[in-house]
Amino acid sequence: MKWLEAEPPKIPVLERESDYPPMAVSLTTSLINRTGSWRIFRPIYDNKLPPCNAECPASERIQGYLDLMEQKRFLEGYQLILETNPFPSITGRVCYHPCEGACNRKEFDEPIGIHNIERFLGDYGLSRAPRPKPAVRRPDQVCIIGSGPAGMTAAWYLALKGYPVTILEAAAQPGGMLRLGIPEYRLSKAVLDKEFRKLKALGVKIKTNTRVGEKVKLDDLRRQFSIILFAHGAHQSRELGVPGQEARGVMSGLEFLAQINLGRRPRIGKRVAVIGGGNTAIDAARSALRLGAEPRILYRRTRAEMPAVADEVEEALREGIPIDFLCAPVRVIKSKGRVSGMELLRMKLGKPDESGRRRPVPVKGSNFRLKLDTVITAIGEQVDLGFLGADVPATGWSVSADRFGRTKLSGIYAAGDCVTGPKTVVEAIGMGRRAALAIDAHVTQQPIEEEKGSGVRGQGSKEIAQYVNINTAYFDHSARKAMPALDLKARRRNFKEVHLGYAQNDAVEESARCFSCGVCDRCDNCYVFCPDMSVLKKDEYYEYDYDFCKGCGVCAKECPRYAITMIEERQAK
Amino acid sequence: MKKVITGNHAVSFGAQCSRVQVISAYPITPQTQIVELLSEFCASGKLAAKFIKVESEHSAMAACVAASAAGARAFTATSAQGLALMHEVLHWAAGARLPIVLADVNRAMGPGWSVWTDQNDSLSQRDTGWLQFYCESNQEVVDTCLISFRVAEQIMMPVMFVLDAFVLSHTSEGVDIPEMALCDQYLPPYKPELKLDLADPRSFGALSNPDHYYEIRYKMQKAHEQALPVIKQAHEEFARVFGRTYGMTESYKCEDAELVLVTTGTITGTARVVIDSERTKGRRVGLLKIRLFRPTPVAELKAALLKVPKVAIIDRNITFGHGGIWTQEIKSALYDEPVRPKIFSYIIGIGGRDVTPADIQEIVDFTLAHDRPPAPIIWRGVRL
Repeated sequence: MKWLEAEPPKIPVLERESDYPPMAVSLTTSLINRTGSWRIFRPIYDNKLPPCNAECPASERIQGYLDLMEQKRFLEGYQLILETNPFPSITGRVCYHPCEGACNRKEFDEPIGIHNIERFLGDYGLSRAPRPKPAVRRPDQVCIIGSGPAGMTAAWYLALKGYPVTILEAAAQPGGMLRLGIPEYRLSKAVLDKEFRKLKALGVKIKTNTRVGEKVKLDDLRRQFSIILFAHGAHQSRELGVPGQEARGVMSGLEFLAQINLGRRPRIGKRVAVIGGGNTAIDAARSALRLGAEPRILYRRTRAEMPAVADEVEEALREGIPIDFLCAPVRVIKSKGRVSGMELLRMKLGKPDESGRRRPVPVKGSNFRLKLDTVITAIGEQVDLGFLGADVPATGWSVSADRFGRTKLSGIYAAGDCVTGPKTVVEAIGMGRRAALAIDAHVTQQPIEEEKGSGVRGQGSKEIAQYVNINTAYFDHSARKAMPALDLKARRRNFKEVHLGYAQNDAVEESARCFSCGVCDRCDNCYVFCPDMSVLKKDEYYEYDYDFCKGCGVCAKECPRYAITMIEERQAK
Repeated sequence: MKKVITGNHAVSFGAQCSRVQVISAYPITPQTQIVELLSEFCASGKLAAKFIKVESEHSAMAACVAASAAGARAFTATSAQGLALMHEVLHWAAGARLPIVLADVNRAMGPGWSVWTDQNDSLSQRDTGWLQFYCESNQEVVDTCLISFRVAEQIMMPVMFVLDAFVLSHTSEGVDIPEMALCDQYLPPYKPELKLDLADPRSFGALSNPDHYYEIRYKMQKAHEQALPVIKQAHEEFARVFGRTYGMTESYKCEDAELVLVTTGTITGTARVVIDSERTKGRRVGLLKIRLFRPTPVAELKAALLKVPKVAIIDRNITFGHGGIWTQEIKSALYDEPVRPKIFSYIIGIGGRDVTPADIQEIVDFTLAHDRPPAPIIWRGVRL
């Protein structure tokens, strides 16, 4: 813009043709020819939303921390995760990683090992990151009922904002499903304990063995605390509902897992049947295997309809656990009050039900029997609504709240499984955080904080960068780094963590496979390709010199990752 | 330093002696060894030049244009289809008055696919504005590279020097590679008055309306006219510095000749043998070797040819529908003289077919036996 402020130079007119240079060359600076005026389209740097970020229920800025990871800025990567998920060591182990399902790289070769990188960064920061301190103190007391992923996440963000937080936990140890439901071989208790130490260091008080409705009454809590957040999960197992279910040797999957997780050894026989196709069923079967039993899973639909995470099903099969599909229990066969077997019925798939999955339909006369010592039921969990006050809004099966956990009652919030029914850890974390934002917004009388943008810098567009937007000419095919795991033998008769975590080099190399979909990662392509030298370096990134950019679009075309958009000149401000 | 090297490597050494700063070339038989050796020079640091790899000859010349416009001494080499592909940018280089030097290893144009020599590739570039030298020996190749840069930079026009495929390009001869100190004395660093300059950005090669374009072309013709004394002076200076030199044309045993053969490139060496044997037989036959195609050395041609009754022009090329290109050029140069020699136009050696002393002997005998040419084109050795 320099020349604009000055008078444009006069073009000299020479007396004789022979005074002109012998070739076609301008007599004055070519900067007076503001070629930007030719432009009808202009490129703009316009970060899009990477599909991984868009898919993450905890709103993690995944592309951002993969970028930091690649630069070996581990602590910054950890802290970026902590902006929306306080516990990456947990999700890095147990999350079902929908981000990887959305990863554009899967169309090219294999998705990025985001889950494994998250675990690396989580563990890196867990032992190294300085403990944060709230900037302000707020007088408003918050009580959170339940110390599972939703409760602990809400507690973290509220404590960070200066609220005194008390968590009430019914069990002897905190963690909810993380503690009771998830086996040690998937999430080490040592890691969980460390995450709780981190939470307590922030000033959060946790009262265990405190079931609301028993020792403490909800009405008292509502008088004592100005804010109450229900985050008590879905811990009631559904019953089989078949004759004989009261027999000894029939137990719920949750109860079975909780006993193991609390250090006890439940009594089971050799022949164990686990009924169900969800994550609890898989966890129960793999745990039974580790106790020395010979478990089998019985599921009424097929593998395609199993709600369990596919990776977990795969691991169960690898460990040698058979799954019988298309069979449903008819009755438990007893002998002297104990389980001795089960009668089942073959099923076939009918029309889709309300969940979109094909409904299992019994095949008449297909009854068959299995000899069993133990039956573990894992056909779903329900929310305990019994202790809620009459005025707390609830449907027949869950507490009613919006996606920010707001109920119709002022000061009463709810988050996690108790609102959504049994879902995932990462969804509970996302909702716990949103509830914290809503609570703070309510107390401070401010609007709820904007959801963060896509990249590490600033706000991004809401458009999701698709695979078709990626200029794959700039990427080489490369294999995803395998997650090191215990071999099958080493998993026998113990609950050691199966997955061992990426080594640092592997984590860095894996992060370098990221396309950085829709987000500028300073690759210099636009800078190198611009035929008009109109891409200028600005700090770490770039800006256009619109005085001379002709809008040719080469930069946008050659951007490997769709971080540049061409817009019509008349749309530009 | 004396070395036994091929014609191709003579080109590479010539470029090294000229301290070229940018080389951009695309390999093509029979030129490939030129760029191979130059890339080795660049990689090993024997030559402080930027070697720009490209995907085609068009880009090679475009890179040379840009490098030269930025003030660098730029060089490339090619052959046949490669030169043809450069055609558009050859015009650009000349019109932009960029003193690029190009070595063309004469190769016949396909199809039929050929890698062997004839002159149609380089002579087809007649109207681009490039100066053209034709070389007879490997020593001449090294030396002509230096001369080309010196002339190009003085008149600000690009220069092409040409050598025959295989007969010269792949044939080894003893060559005296000149000392760098002498080369530097002969060819000072290139310092253009106008060049691409970030501190003073100018627009080069932009739209030129009819008010200016005509004069730009006029000045290109003037540059070619000015080139003749500059080339003469460059050859004299070459003799002073290196102790040997060449001419725009070179006469061999032409005194008292009743027949003068006109040759270019390596056919000259073959013809010289025949001239020697003819002279021992007492026949008055001489030889005129032409080195310079553009600008046309009209005065030298007149001086050498007007005094003889018969001229036999040996063309290893053809402009279809007309005939030998050198014939056309020489006839044109002599046209406005009242008395002109009888001109016999021979076409021979097309597509690299061997031209032997026996062929030249036949040409001599045929010409001496005829008072006037029996046809506009006399074909030697065409098999029908």
